[in-house]
Amino acid sequence: MLTVFLLLPLVGALTVLTLPRDNEGNARWVALFYSVLTFIMSVAIFIRFDPDNPGYQFVDRFEWIQGGDTGFTVQYALGVDGLSAPLVLLTGLLSLAAVLVSWNIDLRPKQYFAWLLVLETAVAGVFLSLDLIQFFFFWELELLPMYMLISIWGSGRPRYSAMKFLLFTMGGSAFMLVGFLVLGLSAGTFDIAVLATEAGRPLDAVIPLSVVFWLVMAAFLVKLPVIPVHTWLPDAHTDAPTAVSVMLAGVLLKMGGYGILRIALPIMPDQARDFGVVLAIIAAASVIWGAILTLQQRDLKRLVAYSSVSHMGYVLLGVSALGAVGLSGAALQMFTHGTITGLLFIVVGLIYDRTHTRQISDMSGLLHRMPVLGVVMIIAGLASLGLPALSGFVAEFTVFAGTIQAHPAATIIAVFGVVLAAGYILWAVQRVFTGPPDERWTGLTDAREWWEYTAMASMLIFIVGVGVYPRLLTDVIESGVEPIALLVQAVA
Amino acid sequence: MILGTVPEAVVWAIYLAPVASFVVIAALSRTARFQGTSEYAGRITIAAIGIAWLASLWALDSAIGNDGESLAFAPHTWATLFDLNVTVGVHLDGLSGIMVFVVTSVSLLVQIYSVGYMEGDRGVSRYFASMSLFTAAMLGLVLSSSLLQLFVHWELVGLASYLLIGFWFDRPPAAAAAKKAFIVTRFGDFAFLLAVVLIWSKTGLLDIAAINDLAVAGGIGAAVLTGFTLGLFSGAIGKSAQFPLHIWLPDAMEGPTPVSALIHAATMVVAGVYLIARFFPSFEAAPAQILDLVAYTGGFTALLAASLGIVQTDIKRVLAYSTISQIGYMVMALGVFGFVAAIFHLFTHAFFKALLFLGAGSVNHATGTFDMRRMGGLRGYMPITYWTFVIASLSLAGVFPLAGFWSKDEILLDAWKYEKPLFVVGALVAGMTALYMFRAIFMTFWGEYQGGEGSDDEHAEVHGEPHESPRSMALPLLILAVPAVIAGFFNLGGGFSHLVEGALPDELRHGPPDIYGGIVAVSLVMAFGGIGAAAAIYHAGRPSAADVRAKLGPLPRVVEAKYYLDFIAETLIVRWILNGVIQRAAQLVDTYIIDFAVDQFAESVRRAGDAMRRVEAGYVQGYTSLFLAGVVIAVVVIAVLGTGVLER
Repeated sequence: MLTVFLLLPLVGALTVLTLPRDNEGNARWVALFYSVLTFIMSVAIFIRFDPDNPGYQFVDRFEWIQGGDTGFTVQYALGVDGLSAPLVLLTGLLSLAAVLVSWNIDLRPKQYFAWLLVLETAVAGVFLSLDLIQFFFFWELELLPMYMLISIWGSGRPRYSAMKFLLFTMGGSAFMLVGFLVLGLSAGTFDIAVLATEAGRPLDAVIPLSVVFWLVMAAFLVKLPVIPVHTWLPDAHTDAPTAVSVMLAGVLLKMGGYGILRIALPIMPDQARDFGVVLAIIAAASVIWGAILTLQQRDLKRLVAYSSVSHMGYVLLGVSALGAVGLSGAALQMFTHGTITGLLFIVVGLIYDRTHTRQISDMSGLLHRMPVLGVVMIIAGLASLGLPALSGFVAEFTVFAGTIQAHPAATIIAVFGVVLAAGYILWAVQRVFTGPPDERWTGLTDAREWWEYTAMASMLIFIVGVGVYPRLLTDVIESGVEPIALLVQAVA
Repeated sequence: MILGTVPEAVVWAIYLAPVASFVVIAALSRTARFQGTSEYAGRITIAAIGIAWLASLWALDSAIGNDGESLAFAPHTWATLFDLNVTVGVHLDGLSGIMVFVVTSVSLLVQIYSVGYMEGDRGVSRYFASMSLFTAAMLGLVLSSSLLQLFVHWELVGLASYLLIGFWFDRPPAAAAAKKAFIVTRFGDFAFLLAVVLIWSKTGLLDIAAINDLAVAGGIGAAVLTGFTLGLFSGAIGKSAQFPLHIWLPDAMEGPTPVSALIHAATMVVAGVYLIARFFPSFEAAPAQILDLVAYTGGFTALLAASLGIVQTDIKRVLAYSTISQIGYMVMALGVFGFVAAIFHLFTHAFFKALLFLGAGSVNHATGTFDMRRMGGLRGYMPITYWTFVIASLSLAGVFPLAGFWSKDEILLDAWKYEKPLFVVGALVAGMTALYMFRAIFMTFWGEYQGGEGSDDEHAEVHGEPHESPRSMALPLLILAVPAVIAGFFNLGGGFSHLVEGALPDELRHGPPDIYGGIVAVSLVMAFGGIGAAAAIYHAGRPSAADVRAKLGPLPRVVEAKYYLDFIAETLIVRWILNGVIQRAAQLVDTYIIDFAVDQFAESVRRAGDAMRRVEAGYVQGYTSLFLAGVVIAVVVIAVLGTGVLER
């Protein structure tokens, strides 16, 4: 089942490429067909996942590279647990939304949709991999479509931003590869599940494990991102096409958080405990620094991009306490940030399609012309600033509840980020949407296409649903986080 | 007790009826029938809140029958996550029983009034949807059995107020005021949220009654309890517009006037008072300085806002500062152990303050302005508005035997007993209250009509001769005038005390109030003194307002500038320090240090590549000399580190 899920978008990409050249317009329909199928499968995986059953489910596994007694055995192994199941769902959901918001792409649509579908496979592969080398493979695979999508279909300085994104990620993953090789060769296996047990975990390695911990974390922290390695993010977001921003904020950033929860903590729990305070400090700094920078942005898309730096800081904060509740908060925040920021980027993209400007100072009174887009943007914004009954609050509250005991100062600082979030969101809403109607924008239309409505509604359902009834997610996440929390706390 | 014990479902209906109204109107608001007419949306809202009002009567009846003690409705599990167990439930006792009665009564009358007031506005469906949400959130807040549930509704109250203050979003001041209200109250909510997280992490509890019980039993350490109550109090300072977070409330006047009536009387600003009252056992168990802080914050706010009320020229702003001042009174009462007095004043204040706001709306309806300098002489044109406004003002000023007299007297009594300086403050504020209210009456209703109309017209119609408002607006005024007169009698036999104190553990109850003749005398002297001063200055003109102003020197200008508090908050702190210095510095660091370093690093890698390319150009001489250099370096290194390296 998981193999089918993983390869479906890839098959879609190949199908798109085989379309005849004079029929490129159909590429979007093929892409939609495959992304709908993938989305349905992701929902099926999430629903059929049994939270009472610990461990990986729907496992597909065979040995890929047999190393004999060198210990260098690489498997092809896929599985989901309570940690990855929500992210699988998120991937399916956002990939579908990404195809929808790309409906009007007319520059080389065949290639565009093919890369978009390859991206989906790559990201899904990261969330499903149970083997370090395989994980690394998919982690790197994601770079290729991202580079292409930003540099060809982007705006502004796309080549600079794409290259910056590429170099940052590769810089991080070079360290990660070293870390993985050290871990795998010292322990004699690359199997994540085996490595994440007390018996299978390497106790010593050719270089100290505390160094290995930071080698591995380097890649994850760049991806998350945290300060001071965040500067690739606003550039990449601002210059990327809407769908890529949606994927980047919605799913790709989660690879960093997921890597920490899946690999760094369970395999090196002692080191995680040693450095918990450092992580908390980085997290609180990211939250506040990101929020202050967000307040300063004058470009609507850049504003949303910087807010991601602040919000992903909550993920790291939840991790840093190393307790069950905080880890759950981190996992929740990854999902909710994916839907909320995904939606924000969708709306910003749809507005940009109409106004052809993203400068906040150029816009005013848009609510008169586009009430639907405006209301959706306001709801997404309120979710982003942590309004209860929407999903952002659920995640943030869980993070704070999980960390206040372990890191009170960092938590207090991070909670203050909520006040700043209200500042930048409501300021942007006030400037862009309220005020008297502006003559320049009288010709604008509101959302009216089916694909616009579908893309927005698919996000809103999850934002409101999880906000009102968090158990939609929490039961599954609890089952995924529990073993990690036990491992991390075992030796304490 | 007239009816049987209220079933849990009926208590839930108090909350869920307006929720349903919100959902239905929001879902249908884009259909033709809901555009531009209050016919459907208004009826749905009135019906829903009417149902809630009836259910709240039953709930209040049961609370009375139960001596105000909590009716045990078991909470329901909502979400669980490891040891974080979030429940929701309804908590009905004397305190919440009174609150749901006040909220539904005022809200119902405000909605009826709104049908006439908002008729013809384009966004009228959005208006009633937001009003339903506002009422629902406030009812959810007072009925919550869990702290987290309370916090959620607390924030939803903030959301609804944001939507309603910014209702006319095409007016930049309205949009700015809505944002200001949300962000300023969020400063308080930040600490409130920390308090919720703190108490859960230290005790594992979120149930309100359980937290209070544990605090009273001494099961919570002093440090934690201090942090917890301070956090709650911060939340209350924001929502209840206490110093220094009071600055949002006067600006909130930008919303439609019925919204102001609801915000000031029954929802939003009284939420903070309710919060402290709900956790009163915890506040009492905390170190004594906490309640002192509460008392003095309230007293200071009452005095500050009353002085600001005297210099306003906008009738709604007079009322706004009056609200801040009266809420300060309630907060002060809580700080001097006047639990009953605070809630009793909340109860009476709700009716006469709602009446005053609706009266101000009625005046605006007739004249097209809120500027009192453009009014005058209106008592002849609109007798119902005039007389009800006078009754409410007398009640607010604390004139015997109207409602405000009794509740204010109880507060002064508690202040006299526990904190004499605050008694002086309270008495002063009583006099100032009478002064600014009757100043408003003389400017608005007496003298000659000044023509009305101004930039702040809430209605698009043309105004000729002022006229009495339509029946749907006049009727709520007449109805509200009744409790503004009689609501004070409910505690004559201590019945109100008995009911509300049911919410407290036995040892914290004080029993029915006493009446001290001396305090009554002081309070009445202050009230009539204020009225007399207003009559002398603003009616008789002896001494004239200009003379008084001249005698006071620079003081009036300082007060009119709101003591520069708005300047400090908005211009100095936000615009100069945050926007100007911190944000700009952060942006500079981010662009020119962090990002620059990144670019430079990339650049240096590229240059290194260039250099290497030159090196590996295929010249044998180059390779040889580099090889030689390498050998030399190796030899030097080995010599320095010792030959041990080679032997290994």
